[in-house]
Amino acid sequence: MSLPRILCIDDEALGLQIRRAVLERAGYQVLTAIDGPTGLSLFRGNEVDGVVLDYYMPEMDGGVVAETMRRERPQIPIMLLSAYINLPAEVVAMVDVTLLKGEGPQELLEKLRSMLETRSNYPSEAHARGGAV
Amino acid sequence: MKAPAFNRALRQLVALPIVLLVLLAGFVFWQIESATRAQRELDHSDQVTAQLQELLNLFIDQETGLRGFQLTADPLMLAPWEAAAGPIQSHLANLREMLTTDTTQEASLSELEGRYNQWLGFARAVLHEDPSALKAAGVNQQGKAMMDSVRATTARMLRHESDLRETKYRLAQRLQRQQLISLVVSAVVVGIFLALFTWHHVRAISASYQRRISEITERSEQLSESRLWFQTTLESIGDAVIACDVGGRVKFTNAVAQKLTGWTLDDAMGKPLETVFHIVHENTRAIVENPVEKVRRLGQVIGLANHTVLIARGGREYMIDDSAAPIKSGAGEMIGVVLVFRDVTEERRIQGALVASEKLAVAGRLAASIAHEIHNPLDSVANLHFLLREEDDPEQRAEYLRMAQQELSRTMQISRTMLSLYREPKAPIQVELRELIEGVLLLLERRLQNQEIRLETDIAGDLTVEGFPAELRQVFTNLLVNAVEAAGPKGRIRIRVEHADAGEWQGAGAIIEVADSGPGIPATTAKNLFQPFFTTKGMQGTGLGLWVSMGIVQKHGGSITLVKSTEPDLPGARFRVFLPARTLTQLAGTEQQNESAA
Repeated sequence: MSLPRILCIDDEALGLQIRRAVLERAGYQVLTAIDGPTGLSLFRGNEVDGVVLDYYMPEMDGGVVAETMRRERPQIPIMLLSAYINLPAEVVAMVDVTLLKGEGPQELLEKLRSMLETRSNYPSEAHARGGAV
Repeated sequence: MKAPAFNRALRQLVALPIVLLVLLAGFVFWQIESATRAQRELDHSDQVTAQLQELLNLFIDQETGLRGFQLTADPLMLAPWEAAAGPIQSHLANLREMLTTDTTQEASLSELEGRYNQWLGFARAVLHEDPSALKAAGVNQQGKAMMDSVRATTARMLRHESDLRETKYRLAQRLQRQQLISLVVSAVVVGIFLALFTWHHVRAISASYQRRISEITERSEQLSESRLWFQTTLESIGDAVIACDVGGRVKFTNAVAQKLTGWTLDDAMGKPLETVFHIVHENTRAIVENPVEKVRRLGQVIGLANHTVLIARGGREYMIDDSAAPIKSGAGEMIGVVLVFRDVTEERRIQGALVASEKLAVAGRLAASIAHEIHNPLDSVANLHFLLREEDDPEQRAEYLRMAQQELSRTMQISRTMLSLYREPKAPIQVELRELIEGVLLLLERRLQNQEIRLETDIAGDLTVEGFPAELRQVFTNLLVNAVEAAGPKGRIRIRVEHADAGEWQGAGAIIEVADSGPGIPATTAKNLFQPFFTTKGMQGTGLGLWVSMGIVQKHGGSITLVKSTEPDLPGARFRVFLPARTLTQLAGTEQQNESAA
């Protein structure tokens, strides 16, 4: 069984580094990007099983990144992270899960797991790849 | 008809009849004169005739006397002769004098004298003869012939004179008729002319007079109408109006003024303005300078001091906003003062409420941004805690702890800033401007980074002003948030804080200037910038930010202005805030009163 690969995008360098450590500790492979455009190019160049995306970022915010990803590969699940309570409704509708920053790592891991599980019921890249990695 | 023409017509109406009547009188006088002359001519002929008649009688007397003497030789018979001799000479002399103008008669008179003298010569010869010879027929014949020729000449002269008189008489008659006719004609002509002239002029004058009367009537109607109109207008406007004479005595108050002052127009009329319009300063309760005095001193429109309270007759108080202006005559002389004011009690209350609501909105926005700022490090700390629990490698644990410490410090700093934002002293305190602005920038730091805005600060150290830090922070937050939005991604913002020397209008203090590289503010927008509910941000802005900022700055005794940018690399808006080093001490009290009123 291959390790699920998660793309993590956040402009907070320290926060991103710590989140990567948490996810790796939980057994995920993690790709990190410090802004939207870097994240999108990693998304295009790599097979990923899910995306953990920060909403509030300079230049290209999480909403725009999520929209682009949905257009290109709609089957990839996206979790949107934010310190804001009042996220725009259309952005919330677009992603699979939202998580408020500060809810804690357990919550993060639990929601991520359930997101990936829900998605795995459908044909997904992870299944298509089988155990190749 | 204008006044000069009217006067000319009147003069003509009087002068022309006089001139005409004088002319007519002259004409009549001339006619009387010629009639008199004709009459004198007639009299002259009559006198000549009379003289001739008498002369004839005297000749007869002399002849008779001579005859008697011839017959009787009695010298007594010569008495008539003697008696006639003198008168004959005097009559002849008279006639000579009278007939100098008539050559025919003059010639006849000379002939008469010649013949008479001839007869006289004969008579004298007879008288000296021997009386017996007197009876000779030849002598008598000779004498008779001589006397006959004298009589014939006299008779011819009489006839001539009679003819002359006849001619003169007819002439006089004709003249008289002509005079009568011309008199009647000229009288009728003058009469008709005068009648027509007078009628025409009187009619013109009367028409003009009527016109003048109706004009005056109309004008007075218009005047009273316009007076009524102005009065109604003044009565109808929502503002209170009081008009005074230069002496400051009330001459007019409209309905609103009557309601606010509690004085009816009848009661207020003629009273000194300060009795009717009793105003004091809202906070100090000091009597505000009489606006009439102030207008008279400055000679121009003045806005009365802010924070003016009108105390009505019954003791009720109104906060008012007012202005006073001189009333000037056409010649530019000040003839009175008009005061316009309105009750702003309610407005002030609403303004207070707006200030409070903007404070809440600011607090809300701040809370959201603080939550965001705190959630990021909190998230990291929670994650680190999870990692620490599962990590055994001491080196890695130390690294996690260091990270956690870093994030905690950030949280603490944000929390401290937030606390200082809401802890507001009761009285103004010394505010270190650099510290204050750096605190504001800290909260906006992330936003600036996100937008990649380049921030330049040029902040003079050790600059302190007296004030309320939370309110000032609100002002600079507003200005900086606006600048961030205007500058946009990768824009520039410059904050400059410098010392301001004391000037003519203000004391020493600090100038804080916030300039951005945005598109700038168009003139149309600029003039509304400090109005409440004016926003260029659509639903995003409350439209109260700059209005509240201005209120805060003014409360600190400072000013906030939008200045024209002069630097091409910072073409956007440039706000300049002046804060005096020392605010008026009374402001502390003012603030509390306002707060409790709101």
